[in-house]
Amino acid sequence: MPEVFIDGTRYEYDEEKDEMLLQFILDQGLEVPFFCYHPSMSIPANCRQCMVKVGTPVKDQETGEYELDEDGERKIRWFPKFQTSCSTRLQDGMVVLTQESSKEVARAQKDNLEFILVNHPLDCPICDQAGECPLQIQTYKYGPEGSRFEVKKVHKPKHVDLGPRVTLDAERCINCTRCVRFTEEISETHQLTIVQRGDDNYPTTAPGEEFDDPYSLNTVDICPVGALTSTDFRFKARVWEMNQTPSIDITNGKGCNIDLWTRDNEVLRITPRQNEEVNDYWMPDEGREAYEQFNENRVDRPSIKLDGDNQSNTSWNNAIETFAEVLEANDPSDITIIGSPHASVEENYAFNKFFNLLGVRNAKFTPHVIPGAGDGFLITDDQAPNTNGCRVINLDEADDTSIQSNVAAAKVVIILSDDLVGREVLSTSDLDNPYTISLATNHSKTTKASDLVIPITCVAEHAASYVNIDGRIQRSYPAKETKYTNRRLNLEMSEGRLDRFGTNFDNWVSEENKVDCLPVWDFLNKLGDRLGLDFKYDHSREVFAELSSSIDELQGISYERMDEENGVQLPIEQKEVKA
Amino acid sequence: MAQDWKSFEPLLIPDIPNLEKIDVYEENGGYDALKKILNDRDTWSRKSVIEEVKQANIRGRGGAGFNAGLKWSFMPDPDGGPRYLACNGDESEPGTFKDRKIFEFNPHLFIEGSLIASYAMTVDTIYVYIRGEYLSWVDMLQEAVDEAYERGYLGENILGTDVSIDMELTYGAGAYICGEETAMLESLEGKRGYPRTKPPFPAQNGLWGRPTTINNIETLANVPLVINNGADWYGDIGAEEHPGPVLYGISGHVNQPGVYEYPTGIPVLDLINDVAGGIRGGKDLKAIIPGGSSTPPLRADQLDGVTMNSDSLKDVGSMMGTAGLVVMDEDTDMVDVLWRIAHFYHHESCGQCTPCRDGTGWLEKVLKKIKDGEGEMKDLDLLLDVGNQMEGRTICALADAAVWPVRHTINRFRDEFEERCKKSVHAVA
Amino acid sequence: MAELSFTQEELDEIERLKAKFPTAKAATLRVLWVAQQKYGHVEPEVQNLVAKTLDVPKSHVHGVASFYTQYYKEEKGKFVLDVCTCLSCQLCGGYEILHHLEEELGIEAGETTDDGMFTIQEVECLGACGYAPMLQVTNGVYVNNLTKEKVDTLLENLKNGNMPEFESMAMPELEKRNQAASK
Repeated sequence: MPEVFIDGTRYEYDEEKDEMLLQFILDQGLEVPFFCYHPSMSIPANCRQCMVKVGTPVKDQETGEYELDEDGERKIRWFPKFQTSCSTRLQDGMVVLTQESSKEVARAQKDNLEFILVNHPLDCPICDQAGECPLQIQTYKYGPEGSRFEVKKVHKPKHVDLGPRVTLDAERCINCTRCVRFTEEISETHQLTIVQRGDDNYPTTAPGEEFDDPYSLNTVDICPVGALTSTDFRFKARVWEMNQTPSIDITNGKGCNIDLWTRDNEVLRITPRQNEEVNDYWMPDEGREAYEQFNENRVDRPSIKLDGDNQSNTSWNNAIETFAEVLEANDPSDITIIGSPHASVEENYAFNKFFNLLGVRNAKFTPHVIPGAGDGFLITDDQAPNTNGCRVINLDEADDTSIQSNVAAAKVVIILSDDLVGREVLSTSDLDNPYTISLATNHSKTTKASDLVIPITCVAEHAASYVNIDGRIQRSYPAKETKYTNRRLNLEMSEGRLDRFGTNFDNWVSEENKVDCLPVWDFLNKLGDRLGLDFKYDHSREVFAELSSSIDELQGISYERMDEENGVQLPIEQKEVKA
Repeated sequence: MAQDWKSFEPLLIPDIPNLEKIDVYEENGGYDALKKILNDRDTWSRKSVIEEVKQANIRGRGGAGFNAGLKWSFMPDPDGGPRYLACNGDESEPGTFKDRKIFEFNPHLFIEGSLIASYAMTVDTIYVYIRGEYLSWVDMLQEAVDEAYERGYLGENILGTDVSIDMELTYGAGAYICGEETAMLESLEGKRGYPRTKPPFPAQNGLWGRPTTINNIETLANVPLVINNGADWYGDIGAEEHPGPVLYGISGHVNQPGVYEYPTGIPVLDLINDVAGGIRGGKDLKAIIPGGSSTPPLRADQLDGVTMNSDSLKDVGSMMGTAGLVVMDEDTDMVDVLWRIAHFYHHESCGQCTPCRDGTGWLEKVLKKIKDGEGEMKDLDLLLDVGNQMEGRTICALADAAVWPVRHTINRFRDEFEERCKKSVHAVA
Repeated sequence: MAELSFTQEELDEIERLKAKFPTAKAATLRVLWVAQQKYGHVEPEVQNLVAKTLDVPKSHVHGVASFYTQYYKEEKGKFVLDVCTCLSCQLCGGYEILHHLEEELGIEAGETTDDGMFTIQEVECLGACGYAPMLQVTNGVYVNNLTKEKVDTLLENLKNGNMPEFESMAMPELEKRNQAASK
């Protein structure tokens, strides 16, 4: 194996990977500061921050052996200048000194930060990026203590709406060109460019053009300073006030890995979480807007239709009693249950199993596909996160007509988390005759047309798994509390700085954002109790454990494996999702 | 050699009326070098042309002074795909105005030289990139190129051989940085003139990812001289380590500024006093900048015995650069001059990489402060320090070019800077 | 503003320029020049026309146009006087010429006269250091060895629509050299 020596330690590397020094250093868990480098984009080496001292051993021309000095150490020929490690290819025998072992290198990096800061405003206290700002972090670690720059800074455009979702502060820009490269190399919309020249440079669109790239907010994520910020999220929260919880994007079939950022049980933003098997570092802007549906328009407490079309809230006991009475009053053959590609594997399975135990026919589901909506990248025709999950657990895939005829023939229709009216599989009048029960996260045309609505947890409130269009199973974690969960008792929930150190008297704490809802399996436990059914799951984990022992494709898969491997590819046929 | 420059007969721009016309050029032995090669390819294989040029040691006239033949030898073996020669006519370094003389007075010499270079490197397309301000000279060169096409020196099957070479002229639009060879490639590709990180070098990965060599116009004009007369003959002209004729552009406080052709190795003081007619108004010489604004200035008292070649200039702490000699008389305000140079580099920094983008501005602003009488003594050391932080840390050499004049002007004229700071509003500091 | 377009003749010229290079993008600088020749500037609509004609991203053309100083990103006077003040011109009185022009025309560098006739710009080295001070008229002809009187005459001529002729700085050097050599 070829070798490199970094700060005196020997490392072996894989020649096949043709790796650059900086990436190799990072892969070893070591650190060299950098700004412009991004592992998924081209390497411009323009920020010059990752400078290190590099040398190569001298070989005897004739023998090919390393030449040794008096002490028997290899003679090293040092490059005359510092090298940017991001653009330096590994070479056998290479000797590297980083800031950790070389004062010269530490000084060079400090010098460079001094340059970066001369035209950067000192506005961290009012900058959204503060707290998660590479420039701020690197400056603390490697930067100069003060500034010797006592002349005037360059002024550039500030708070510019580059497009509907991204705001530019050109003075904060350090010209790393990550955003421009993103639109050139990743989203390929070519909407951004650097304009002007020299220290007047900054990124922007062509005049009169909007930065409406469907992936525009990724530039905010990769901006190493506060030059590009999310117009929606701007000034809403400090990053250190929020909790960060891993999850899965449920707005389409790709299942982008994401983080939910919450404060006081409100999801305030969604950012992508790296998974090179699925979405690399990216996600579509659409998926980020989903946070609103976790906070707003939620079904909160059960509701029941009393007279005419008016629904009113009711107690859980009354809801369970009503539900049980409907089931008891009807023959199982008159009941149609409809599962959902919008709900998780565990929800669909528990839902189907419960009613199967009562003798009801297998649940149907209809994929939610808009042909042509996808872009071949991270936006899919499939509008739902778990179409393949419904298939894996063998729900009956049905087309719209078949759903309609089943509903027409039924006396009771039970719908799991799917706005069938809203997406025009059914019309409101289709639901006039049968007694309709919706288990739903959010108010919709379907819940409005329902006789009984049971509030259930959304992806932000439960641990559950979803199978994406490529057959990869991945799971969520509870990020926000419901009326019935407690962050301090639930080990799966993250605790942020404020959770740990705040008190109930701090003004950021409220009960208002906790939705009165239950996980599907939990609700069905209660309904089962009432009906005297042998049905009991304490946690989605139990539901999944049962599934993995009964379904071939899920054998050997557990939450632990999904966590460790960032999701698991199922051995299922790559079937195209069709309407 | 240095002393017999007076008997030197110009070679690059000889005193022949209408030499820019192809008929006149041919009558005076023009294109003979090309014919010599193409008619006797057994003697003049591509490799042996490179060898001859390497032997002659034509040092690049664009400023870096690199052996042209050696540069050519870096081109990889042909793989059947396109290969380019990019001719750098972007001359923009303050004090430099020589390549336009070749376009105007002897364009065919350059065309012939670039054809020989292309033959040697198996290049099929030559791009000539001229600065956008030189539109008048672009037209002149275009006329010559058209003539060369008509006579069969350019295009398909040159002189009836299987060698085919095209030449395309194009021009910039105002950016000094495009004289940096890889920035020029970017500009030729229609982009912002951002220098490329090296490696990969242009010979491996140049225009549109293909092997490319970049040579200065004057460098290429030297090539036919070598082929016609041999490397040994060429090596005997001028200074040993830096031979050949040079177009000296002399400007500033001299009586007869202009471009003069003499061998390398001519004494600086002869160039000023004999060639350029001495200092204007009978004043004393204060300083010179020997080869364009980036080369460190020299005080008059440093110039005894100094000659215009790289070794001699290096000995006194400067460089040959583009041989654009800027002469300054005793009344010159070095603070003003240095500020103006710093202003130039600040204005021309492409802004791609950090130390140059933010350093050139810092240098200029501090110098402006000193010039405006608001300087402090600590600013002088700050300038030197900022310079040290920039040098050698950037993608291209513009930052270095900006730093050298600052460092050496302050060091060599420190009294003047201190004087200005002492008189300033912050005098106590 | 009405939709901008190139004439067939101009489009033919653009095709010829594109043919110089293996990619259409490479012709960006040249086509911006064609557009500036036609419209006198490359304001945003003109940049977009160039992008459309070459089928390259608008952002690309914008980035290029804003990088190079000779493109007029906004409308300028009929005559743009680019006065060099860099190094050799500074030494030989470039600033005096600039300030003289400013006084004569009643505007500062970077501004355009009210009648839209003249714009003055202070520019970097134009490669005429031996003929300092000097200026360039609207990206075209160089006017060398300026004196205040020469500037006044130039302004007068331009007002009358007379562009200065190209002035060959034809090797008086050769003569000087011969003299020097005979010493």
